[in-house]
Amino acid sequence: MSAMSGRFGKKRWVVAGLGFALLVCAWALGLTPAGLVPPDAGHWYRAGEFFSAALRPAFDYQDPNVPADADPIWLKGLKGLLATLRYAVGAMSLAVPAALVLGFFGSSAWWPAPRGRATGFLLRTVYLGCRFVMSFARSIHELIWALLFLSAMGISPMAGMVALAIPFAGTLGKVFSELVDEETREAAELFRAIGHRPVQLFFVGIFPSALPNLITYAFYRFECAVRSSAVLGFVGIETIGLYIELSHEEFYYREVWTYLYLLLALIVIVDRWGAAIRQRLNHSTLAWRP
Amino acid sequence: MTAAFQLDGATCRFGDLAAVDGVSLSIEQGERVAFIGPSGSGKTTLLRLLNTMRSPDEGSVSVFGDDVSGQGVADLRRLRSKIATIPQHLGLVPNLTAIQNVVLGRGGRRSTLRSIRDLLMTSRSDSVAIHAILDRVGIEEKLYNRVSELSGGQQQRVAIARALFQQPEALLADEPVSSVDPARARDTVRLLTELSAEDGFTLCVSLHHIELAREFFPRLVGLRSGKVVFDDAPGALEESQLSELYDLNEEEMMKDA
Repeated sequence: MSAMSGRFGKKRWVVAGLGFALLVCAWALGLTPAGLVPPDAGHWYRAGEFFSAALRPAFDYQDPNVPADADPIWLKGLKGLLATLRYAVGAMSLAVPAALVLGFFGSSAWWPAPRGRATGFLLRTVYLGCRFVMSFARSIHELIWALLFLSAMGISPMAGMVALAIPFAGTLGKVFSELVDEETREAAELFRAIGHRPVQLFFVGIFPSALPNLITYAFYRFECAVRSSAVLGFVGIETIGLYIELSHEEFYYREVWTYLYLLLALIVIVDRWGAAIRQRLNHSTLAWRP
Repeated sequence: MTAAFQLDGATCRFGDLAAVDGVSLSIEQGERVAFIGPSGSGKTTLLRLLNTMRSPDEGSVSVFGDDVSGQGVADLRRLRSKIATIPQHLGLVPNLTAIQNVVLGRGGRRSTLRSIRDLLMTSRSDSVAIHAILDRVGIEEKLYNRVSELSGGQQQRVAIARALFQQPEALLADEPVSSVDPARARDTVRLLTELSAEDGFTLCVSLHHIELAREFFPRLVGLRSGKVVFDDAPGALEESQLSELYDLNEEEMMKDA
């Protein structure tokens, strides 16, 4: 009983601590609820414009200077979405293989159990090296990678894709390595007992049972990649984010909302697709049936 | 003929506790032996000595005539590929099919690449052999079912099939009846002993179910606190020995409480 009340007491302290931290941060940043209220009539007007535009997204350009032969706005938006999707798919197809390699060498599930001193040292060096590379890759946000690449190489599609792929490979690799390391070892122990090699039992006993989780997580990251790819528009890469940014600069809020709704639709479709794949994973196996 | 398993004063410690304490035992090839005793008597550790997953802290263990302690990694693997194990929790990969789990039973004699290929596309000859084995253990129709979709009893059959596909010289099963109902328990033990008789492999089973051990095994080894307290045919086993085996456990439980 005393142990339990002790645990509850500890939980209460954690909650109280979090609340206190929130107050301290709010005070240090000078946060007040008034910060959400527009300061003057001009801003009140803009806020009203912006939120009322949500109810009537543009079906035609608000911009009077659009040439007559330009794509209609919905087609422009769809093309922007397609570009957004292309960057996300491209970045993920670079990131997933890199993450599989990094995740493998950044995990210890495949290490031989009795190992010589030299082998152990080599394995740990590679392990720590991979962990460092993954930490470094993901500790810098894709937007910062993009700014760095764009200033170094100029605005090119490849630069945007690589900028997206680097932090995604880091995050995916870290989670992949942890998923395989946390996988239960019952089957792996059995395979060891009947003479499998350590690498062999990793590939037949650990990786297959971790695979559904890996795929689920990769899909979640793909959804993130779609959003991040849109954000890259704000630094000049031609995704739907660029159109949002340009319309926003001109205060064409109804155009902004058209693009936002298109992006929302894409995210919902990607999410449903991922859910369908997860559903099928629960009932399928790796095998091709003869 | 060399013994399948030969233990001389084998001792295994976990910290201060000797889970197996000076056990000397010889098990001939083709013999069927049941290890009986209360939980915590050292049955599981003893089986881990036999399948070379542990080497003794004192004394020696020889498997098919080879001393386990002196073996290199490759030799140990070769030795292990001849011993099938069915652990208490079966050690199946739940999201693979029955056939995929079974084909991995022979992985100890196959390369890594071959095993991955076995998983993705099981060869025709392996499929035929596995089909026959699943038929023998009575779950032929479950060949392409994911193991996680099978019942506890069916999963156990898959584990037995994997052991058979390994073509072992000895099969070790740790409490094979702990996870199935009494009627199934009897079927499982009967199946194991029949398979052993038909295929000629040595069978060592740990059982806390004394009646099943008496009915199906010509040799019982009683364990208590890691020591062998009797080693004889079931007919020679007296009630007083049995009560001795389990009484001490009560005493120990009293001591723990």
